[in-house]
Amino acid sequence: SKHPDPFHTLREVEILDAKTREKLCFLDKVEPHATIAEIKNLFTKTHPQWYPARQSLRLDPKGKSLKDEDILQKLPVGTTATLYFRDLGAQISWVTVFLTEYAGPLFIYLLFYFRVPFIYGHKYDFTSSRHTVVHLACICHSFHYVKRLLETLFVHRFSHGTMPLRNIFKNCTYYWGFAAWMAYYINHPLYTPPTYGAQQVKLALAIFVICQLGNFSIHMALRDLRPAGSKTRKIPYPTKNPFTWLFLLVSCPNYTYEVGSWIGFAIMTQCLPVALFSLVGFTQMTIWAKGKHRSYLKEFRDYPPLRMPIIPFLL
Amino acid sequence: AAAATAAAKGNGGGGGRAGAGDASGTRKKKGPGPLATAYLVIYNVVMTAGWLVIAVGLVRAYLAKGSYHSLYYSIEKPLKFFQTGALLEILHCAIGIVPSSVVLTSFQVMSRVFLIWAVTHSVKEVQSEDSVLLFVIAWTITEIIRYSFYTFSLLNHLPYLIKWARYTLFIVLYPMGVSGELLTIYAALPFVRQAGLYSISLPNKYNFSFDYHAFLILIMISYIPIFPQLYFHMIHQRRKILSHTEEHKKFE
Repeated sequence: SKHPDPFHTLREVEILDAKTREKLCFLDKVEPHATIAEIKNLFTKTHPQWYPARQSLRLDPKGKSLKDEDILQKLPVGTTATLYFRDLGAQISWVTVFLTEYAGPLFIYLLFYFRVPFIYGHKYDFTSSRHTVVHLACICHSFHYVKRLLETLFVHRFSHGTMPLRNIFKNCTYYWGFAAWMAYYINHPLYTPPTYGAQQVKLALAIFVICQLGNFSIHMALRDLRPAGSKTRKIPYPTKNPFTWLFLLVSCPNYTYEVGSWIGFAIMTQCLPVALFSLVGFTQMTIWAKGKHRSYLKEFRDYPPLRMPIIPFLL
Repeated sequence: AAAATAAAKGNGGGGGRAGAGDASGTRKKKGPGPLATAYLVIYNVVMTAGWLVIAVGLVRAYLAKGSYHSLYYSIEKPLKFFQTGALLEILHCAIGIVPSSVVLTSFQVMSRVFLIWAVTHSVKEVQSEDSVLLFVIAWTITEIIRYSFYTFSLLNHLPYLIKWARYTLFIVLYPMGVSGELLTIYAALPFVRQAGLYSISLPNKYNFSFDYHAFLILIMISYIPIFPQLYFHMIHQRRKILSHTEEHKKFE
């Protein structure tokens, strides 16, 4: 270290505010192989209110955020690097958001199922529906959200750690609101069971179960694509599990199965709010699927051409 | 919201909406092609003419009747026709000949159409209310200015007076329109409840219920967060646009 070696000279990093260009921080003696993540940690020392998750550092004030894994000496900067900082706002972890938004519907639906006081007339407090399908619907709805909670805890591998805090309010309003709206009608004393009776319920249940298994299979397949702790992205392919063969036709079969589950639930309960919830969810998932499909196409030259984003051959 | 969101639009060659358009016109934007421009000019001229017809109709009816009550009936048809015609503006945004947000434009036009059809037309008893005149006047003046603003902008010859009017008169017209709208909805409430209008109750085979009376109350409540936001956005736009023009005039 006595001999000056240009590839190992320590660097200087100055961090400016992207909007005001004010100099926020000057770091000297930074290792050239330091990652952006490490620089973020150094920045937090001088500005503790901006923890790393809410920092966006970029080379250009209006440019894209640098990734945590990016290495200082690989960036197009001189010995003094100028980085621009933007505050992403308060952040919350994806896991926290998922757990909160899924625990709500699980709990809320049960309040209606057990006909807790002040929802329906007092003469119905804590009574039970005489329709089998209402009990079945409660089992299906609860199973769905328990599955989601367990997947959040044990299956999913998130590429981002955090999202903006305001998302939790938006997301919870959506999930909790719709859950209450659906549960109100399904568990209502004046609920009308499906027109085609047990046949309709059996068919709907079959669709629901198949799609739940399918959705879970896809989640497992996606998990196995990505080793623990890594952020690598690979093209998903069908595995031995027949439910994953849908990958031949769509990029996001997890969304396909999810829509299928809710269609099944709508047929089972013959409840318009459930159908509307399915429609809204389908719209959102289509937007996500198209985005994911586009990034797959951009990232992988050899992406299978037969695949559509969410509905085979159509969408 | 319906009254002034129509006023709360940005400027721009094709008639941009609030927050979407470039205020000063100094940025060279790729406008709509010549065919689209011709179509838009015709559209905006027709709409300006339509709202002028409504304005003239109001004045004539007032002079003929000698009072300002129940003037709605004399302009009912052109009002319905030209306000509903504004749905085309959603299409214009969707196909990209107008640089505005489809979502924002839809919201604005739908709220107007809702008031015309789902409240005033549907609840006949409110048609003789003075509150109807309040929002009709507000809308009429606003739309005449707005459509002529777009027409002139498309022809690249915008008189300062029109720009000034567009970004100033809303200060009075917006609250006036909102008041008219809210009072009209409020007046409709008892009749909606009595007739069970547009409402469905349990039990039914789709396990759904809808209480239009409660829905209208919710609409009224929604004005509380929406109105101030749009109003102050327009005030902000006004400062930006009218002060910019003053600077530009210095260089002419």
